[in-house]
Amino acid sequence: MAKSAPRKAKAADKETKAAQAAVPSANAMDLLAAMGLDFATTMDIESTLAGALRRIAGYVGAEAGALFMLGSGGTMLRCHACVGPTNIVGLSIGAGQGIVGRVVQTNKGEIVRDVEDDPQFDGQVDAKTGFTTRSILCAPLSVKDERLGAIELINKRGGDNLFEQADLTLLEALASSAALAVLNARMAAELVEQERVRHELELAAEIQRSLLPPPEGPDFPAHGVNLPARTVSGDFYDFFRLDDGRVCFTLGDVSGKGMNAALLMAKAASLFRCLGRTVHEPGRLLGRINFEIAETATRGMFITMVAGIYCPATGRVRFSNAGHEPLQLHRPDGSFEEFPADTPPVGIVPGAPGEAFPEVEAALDGGALYVFTDGVTEGYTAEGVELGIDGLKDILIRDATAVAADRLASVARVLAAGGGERGLRDDVTIMAIDDASAADGRSAHPSGRVAAPAIAAVPVMTLRLPAVADRLRLIRAAIGETVRSLGGAEETAHDMVLAVDEACQNIIRHAYKGDSKGEIVIEISQEGAKLIILLKDFAPTIDPSTVRPRNLGDVRPGGLGTHLIREVVDEMVFLKPPPEGGNILRLVKRIG
Amino acid sequence: MKHQIREDGGAAVVALEGDIDLKTSPEARKILIDAVGRNVPVVVDLSRVNYIDSSGVASLIEAFQKARKSGRKFVLAAVSAGAMRVLNLARMDKVFTICADVADGLAKVR
Repeated sequence: MAKSAPRKAKAADKETKAAQAAVPSANAMDLLAAMGLDFATTMDIESTLAGALRRIAGYVGAEAGALFMLGSGGTMLRCHACVGPTNIVGLSIGAGQGIVGRVVQTNKGEIVRDVEDDPQFDGQVDAKTGFTTRSILCAPLSVKDERLGAIELINKRGGDNLFEQADLTLLEALASSAALAVLNARMAAELVEQERVRHELELAAEIQRSLLPPPEGPDFPAHGVNLPARTVSGDFYDFFRLDDGRVCFTLGDVSGKGMNAALLMAKAASLFRCLGRTVHEPGRLLGRINFEIAETATRGMFITMVAGIYCPATGRVRFSNAGHEPLQLHRPDGSFEEFPADTPPVGIVPGAPGEAFPEVEAALDGGALYVFTDGVTEGYTAEGVELGIDGLKDILIRDATAVAADRLASVARVLAAGGGERGLRDDVTIMAIDDASAADGRSAHPSGRVAAPAIAAVPVMTLRLPAVADRLRLIRAAIGETVRSLGGAEETAHDMVLAVDEACQNIIRHAYKGDSKGEIVIEISQEGAKLIILLKDFAPTIDPSTVRPRNLGDVRPGGLGTHLIREVVDEMVFLKPPPEGGNILRLVKRIG
Repeated sequence: MKHQIREDGGAAVVALEGDIDLKTSPEARKILIDAVGRNVPVVVDLSRVNYIDSSGVASLIEAFQKARKSGRKFVLAAVSAGAMRVLNLARMDKVFTICADVADGLAKVR
């Protein structure tokens, strides 16, 4: 170790000189200014970094230099650029390894005059390359607390071979502007990526729109409207006339939202277009589509779907409803008839290709048949309450004498106004089949809704609990006991336990998104024979317009929980959230 | 939630017990999928499942779909009243083969 002794002897003398020279000289300022400009204007950050490293190594007089950046996990440092006799670009070391690792961890520049005296020095690189490291100058690449990596210079040439304080000051200044440039480049790359994704989504949306049928004139029996909640939609509808004059139609809703739902929607809509030309029995058509979809459907995804065929000559319609919202037939006398689903959704059970789903045949009698997704009944009105089936019927009754396109536009307008700036809660799709044989027969019909007699609500119980899966058991026990104590039958107690459990799950998983610090408040009151349950959360008000990717690992068929709630309660409605945010769900169940 | 798995004449009988809810359904899912992964017919005994929610139903659907893909039978047996109600509400009573008891289920998968 003879070489280190004389260098150390000079060190003390060097310290004073270093302190005097701590301010970069005029030349150094020029160098910094030039490199700062390079960084600010570069389009290729990697080669600019390499150039900067070369220049600073030359200026300081270092034998070698290297620039290390932290990997995305923050556990490894990788060499992105180097100068000197050995090329170590691509070399990876642990994020705390060696002197460069220490500088990254402490976020402070260092002069190590003799690596032999520094136990942290890692000789592995020297051992591999045959290079001998004597001294190191190292500065962190960081912007405030955001650590990106470090630049190191090795072995000063000439003079006493010792790095000085002024060298470190210069390297630190260079490292700061380099770090800013790296951060800028990363943000620019993210913006470009976001823009690319947005552009692709728009292309996808354009293709989706092209899958919907073009609007027809007022004489055509079928009309539809689709308002996507996001750029792309999981809803679809289609109709076309066969050579014999009959009209084939379909409407569907893919579980989940976002790109995967949109892709499955495209597949289902294409299958309908293609198979519907030759398969004129709706039940067999759905059976065939189910066979194709179930064969390739991804985990837990399914489609609620209606397919039908309308004959303008007879005014009769045949359709099959696979797990979809009930169809509503608005008769000329103003009454509504409901046609609920009698088979599970498409895509769950892979049947045989020739299997037929059950069909219903009905005479439209001059009425209008409406098929729609739950985005219609669950959408908000401008008053901030869900439109609901009664709200939808009110619009259809009010506008009964208008042409179909105008009636559907009315519904869309109400929901678009209710969505406001926050956007729609869900895709809105509605289709009408007007029985053209007696279109004049329809007449405006006054709303038949009767206001419920006003009975004061009596508070029964309030629960306030953390929004975590652990507490669901407790909530279930409390709800079950409450319903029984109020005279509810065992079946009613089970159903309400299920409804509240599912509603709480929605809060835990969707409103709080698994954040265990949130709370759920459950308020139970009784109003005559009605049990009223309010579920409140304090998460951000659910806003469907904020695009968040669906977790592909989430295998739960979307909307099944909500479906269960709707099945068992008499009324389910989101109340207008308070101005400070949160969500309030109101469930009503008649007991006893 | 507790569970037991036994072999019976080349079939796996998976007996689940307790509540299958948001908390326990990941475990139920793993048990069911592991059972399907044994490449034998599976009979799921739900007689002691007092409560099942949508996430539990989803676990059953996923295991059922996996079994279908590998050409293995997957049936539910001795479904408790509470669980049956939820399967009915989810319209899954038509999706699954549901047997009165485990013996029936075993007869069905052989």
